[in-house]
Amino acid sequence: MELFFNPFDNLLCILLGISFTVWFTLLLVFIIVPAIFGVSFGIRRLYMKTLLKIFEWATLRIERGAKEKNHHLYKPYSNAIIAKDPTSLEEEIKEIRRSGSNKDLDSVSEFEMSDIFYFARRGVESIMDDEVTKRFSAEELESWNLLTRSNNNFHYISLRLTVLWGLGLVIRYGILLPLRVTLAFTGVGLLVFLTSVIGRLPNGRMKNLLSEKVHLMCYRICVRALTAIITYHDSENKPKNGGICVANHTSPIDVIILASDGCYAMVGQIHGGLMGVIQRSMVKACPHIWFERSEVKDRHLVAKRLSDHIQDKSKLPILIFPEGTCINNTSVMMFKKGSFDIGATVYPVAIKYDPRFGDAFWNSSKFGMVNYLLRMMSSWAIVCSVWYLPPMSREDGEDAVQFANRVKAAIARKGGLVDLLWDGGLKREKVKDTFKEEQQKLYSKMLVGTQEDRSRS
Amino acid sequence: MGTLQSSPAPTEYCDLSEKTGFSFEQIAVLHKRFKQLSHDEDVLRRDHFSEIPDLASNPIRAEIIEAFFDQRNFSKNGKGKVEEIGFEEFLVVMSHFRPPSQHMTNEQRENVRKEKLRFLFNMHDTDNDGTITLEEYRHVVEELLSRSGALEKETAKSIADAAMLEVASISVGHMEPDEFYEGITFDHFLKLLAGFEIDSKMSIHFLNMDTITLCK
Repeated sequence: MELFFNPFDNLLCILLGISFTVWFTLLLVFIIVPAIFGVSFGIRRLYMKTLLKIFEWATLRIERGAKEKNHHLYKPYSNAIIAKDPTSLEEEIKEIRRSGSNKDLDSVSEFEMSDIFYFARRGVESIMDDEVTKRFSAEELESWNLLTRSNNNFHYISLRLTVLWGLGLVIRYGILLPLRVTLAFTGVGLLVFLTSVIGRLPNGRMKNLLSEKVHLMCYRICVRALTAIITYHDSENKPKNGGICVANHTSPIDVIILASDGCYAMVGQIHGGLMGVIQRSMVKACPHIWFERSEVKDRHLVAKRLSDHIQDKSKLPILIFPEGTCINNTSVMMFKKGSFDIGATVYPVAIKYDPRFGDAFWNSSKFGMVNYLLRMMSSWAIVCSVWYLPPMSREDGEDAVQFANRVKAAIARKGGLVDLLWDGGLKREKVKDTFKEEQQKLYSKMLVGTQEDRSRS
Repeated sequence: MGTLQSSPAPTEYCDLSEKTGFSFEQIAVLHKRFKQLSHDEDVLRRDHFSEIPDLASNPIRAEIIEAFFDQRNFSKNGKGKVEEIGFEEFLVVMSHFRPPSQHMTNEQRENVRKEKLRFLFNMHDTDNDGTITLEEYRHVVEELLSRSGALEKETAKSIADAAMLEVASISVGHMEPDEFYEGITFDHFLKLLAGFEIDSKMSIHFLNMDTITLCK
């Protein structure tokens, strides 16, 4: 009996050994070596095209299935629910009063009971639908991308579609996920190891060059670990030393996407754990700006460190996300003015993700970091476009807030996102009372103005 | 594997539709909005409303939020306030702003108009005694006008007083100097706002949608 099993054992071992070797060689040749040199075989683009064709087919099947059962699909609304009148406060109130008193009024006279209609209606309209709250939940798709996360019409799926979905599940969790996790560990491990090694070299040109190469290589491996298919536009506007690079923020992956195409100095808070280890080793190879938790509150200290960094032309451009939090990639929210106050040249960058392949938005109140990364790694791919915009500087007579808004508008326009005045911090906090006072002031000015007219006459 | 959204229950929507006059699709949309506002809970509380930024810039937001928790707006004989509301109550309050439909008899239109005015009346009459006193009216006027800006408190007060005088003269006719005006009753309120075109000004227009026949 023992003799019977031994050859099998041997055979099994040999087979396993061979498959591991083949697996690693393929990995090395097709993924890691191109990452080191920054070339691409185009495999990922082919993959993307195939996936798109499959998704179209899947959506058609669902629609057909729904029609057969004589139901309509529950279509999620990506736009507004209600039609809001764009008329101003004055016009509306004039209209209301005119309808009641039949007088030909040219100006808004004294206070009337009917004025309250306008405010009541506006209030209820905002309860029904407002621009801000819906920016903080993930964008809704028109077609189905074979992930259960984004499907509302689950009961219209035929057998064929279920089989396809099951196959997709197996591929994503059985093949892609382990591959990606291996790559991720390789990338991060190499980063930590090599930057520590480079940290021992004396400061000089050699060190900078090597550190650049190492950073780029490791980030490229991480990009492949997420199967991110990135298209860079207008690379002639890439940020240069002594400048600040500003981008809209959707997820922590934004950093990897930008850093795999150029070298930046990162800004952030020092974390504990694995992140902390990575941060500490990165700073050995080239200067990044990490803050202790206590230092973050002190604005002057932050501003001073940032401006010291950009004065030194040999240091890399700083990468900052001024929104302060992750937005769901349909709009750009208020930029915090701190980074625009320093007086450096600003290089804006717009990042737009294609939601058909996987939702990259990190809803930090819903998912933790590890959960989020697992979701990212088990999606099909992450497809995005990056636009480098021409550099901007603060003009005379412009204050930091206006400059920030100008940059924000440029980014929103380029990326095809909606430009909002609201603060991203509203994800967690409430609106300040100053906004309510604005409306009150407007209304009372209207009344008082006309009172003065009458008292003069 | 991600979360699946629960499909809307057709039978519940039938009842709600009859009660409030919304179509099934409008109810589905509002349900989604309810879940979004309540962070996927079953009830809404006052602080959920305070999180809406657009609402925060409205001068009478406190009154509007209170209107959602006022039992007088849920049914004809309701009294008092509640701390939390479910989806049904949310819909009932929203239905006060329902747009007038084409095929309504004159009597139905009158009823709808009365309902809307009742809603506004309740918003003014905070102590639920059936009349809007001078104090209550003054409070609403102060809310609408700025406390710190163009108007001083005295001016706001005098505007409210002047408006009340006008109201008194319209409803009661000529008053003696020492006669005390109790307050605006609901009938007076109706008379005052008789001419105003409230149908379109106090309704919200839903965007054009396909009608779904979920209920058979």
